[in-house]
Amino acid sequence: MTSGKILKTVFFVEILKGLALTFKTLFTPPVTRRYPKVKVPAQPGFRGLHALAKNAEGKMKCVGCGLCGAYCPSKCIHIYTSEGDDHAKIVDRYEIDVLRCIFCGFCVEACPFGAITLSEHYEYSEASREAFYMTREKLLENWDKYFAGPKGERYFKDFWLPQTKTYASYEGQAMFRGRAKGKE
Amino acid sequence: MTGLFESIVAPGSLDYMINLVIMLVIILLKIAAVVAVALLHVAYATYFERKVIGHMQVRLGPREVGPLGLLQPFADGVKLFFKEDIIPADADKPLFYLAPVIFFVSALTSLSVLPFFDGFAVANINVGLLFLFAMSSLGAYGIVLSGWSSNSKFAFLGGLRSASQVISYEIAMGLSLVGVMMMAGSLNLSDIVRAQQHYPLGLFAVPQFLGFFVFVVAAFAETNRLPFDLPEAESELVAGYFTEYSGFRFALFFLGEYTGMLIMSAIASLCFLGGWGLPSFVTANVSIVAAKILGLFWFLAKVYAFMFFYYWVRATLPRYRYDQLMAIGWKLLIPLALANIVITGLVKIWVKGMV
Repeated sequence: MTSGKILKTVFFVEILKGLALTFKTLFTPPVTRRYPKVKVPAQPGFRGLHALAKNAEGKMKCVGCGLCGAYCPSKCIHIYTSEGDDHAKIVDRYEIDVLRCIFCGFCVEACPFGAITLSEHYEYSEASREAFYMTREKLLENWDKYFAGPKGERYFKDFWLPQTKTYASYEGQAMFRGRAKGKE
Repeated sequence: MTGLFESIVAPGSLDYMINLVIMLVIILLKIAAVVAVALLHVAYATYFERKVIGHMQVRLGPREVGPLGLLQPFADGVKLFFKEDIIPADADKPLFYLAPVIFFVSALTSLSVLPFFDGFAVANINVGLLFLFAMSSLGAYGIVLSGWSSNSKFAFLGGLRSASQVISYEIAMGLSLVGVMMMAGSLNLSDIVRAQQHYPLGLFAVPQFLGFFVFVVAAFAETNRLPFDLPEAESELVAGYFTEYSGFRFALFFLGEYTGMLIMSAIASLCFLGGWGLPSFVTANVSIVAAKILGLFWFLAKVYAFMFFYYWVRATLPRYRYDQLMAIGWKLLIPLALANIVITGLVKIWVKGMV
């Protein structure tokens, strides 16, 4: 051992450094979030409880194509449709088993009409399983509750559509790119 | 009934008996006051610890029960009191019942010799310091017995570790205080405090800095606190010797441990930091009663500073390995304490001439 090292050992330089550090942290503001008392608002675009979007006339945007259900990795979306007058497709039931959902957001990406959304609401504990089984009416209600006004209008623009004008996918992807102009 | 009484007590010694009874009542009242106050302090020592360590770890510590969490110790007490009392199958029942009582009682008994302010100690005995050593050694019996009687390997290992640790560091601690005894020329704690008034700053910690260092390290090991909490090392032994204890029996161990810390802090305060001894420019200007009250708070401030140091070290240092613990005890602290005794003796002879 060198003399410096011996001095360091005898006078506990490292332990004293550690003590100084903990004494300094004693006076730093705590990072604790006092959650149930002080609620932290969810970040914009948070994937919380589901809602079914309504259009300007207040009608459900969903047409019952079933893409969201087909995409859903946890298979928690159940859609039942029937044929109405002049062969129109009618969505009889649109149900989401929230307890199965993993909140991946694939359904929102899959939907060609922007009909399904994930709200920023995350405090929805209930006492029964049935309460977590979202029917069409409940999902439409959620839209009114959590996407009232401009929030709903901006939702897809802010978080889901391509953010830049130069957005493009790779060559092999099947994607509508418009009519070919002349010779490539 | 009267006949029986008179047959035991000869007439004429009745005054003596009455005096005895009054004295006993006064002593009992003193004991009740000391125990009640000390247990309140112990309860709030846990709160203090949780707050200090919480803030050192950039957390908040308790703050839900009562204003600023001040009722947390009572909530903990109520919780522990109403918990189920589980006794493991094949436990050695008499010893299992006895162990926490031994531990707790030995810790509380130590309180009786501590002078809290000038002229107040439940028992102002001349072997005060020796009595404290005896009681802290007796506490080790509680730990060993609890480890043995629990019929659990974790508790058993914790008990064994604690036995060897406490015995090793007892030597270092005893030797570190020998320097103090030599300087004060007494084992009576009040006399030790008074002897310190003649020294610079009114402290023995200055001339006895080696002894103080050895005492501080040994006090950490003696009370099984971090960084020497191997008997109850969570990551290795679940909870060590009190793994199998629950409910109020666990509370006895818990209280005993914190009372032990309080007593170690009090010994440090009395023997090295000047106890209730106020500087002469303070005592000269206030009445005797005020001086005593100030002395009490002066003593408590030192005790709490030392307690804070306990928590501070706990929040800073990781746990030592067991061989390191033993190496520190036997190869560093005991030689240091012995050297301190020799140096103190030589200086005493040199200063005062041949005694």
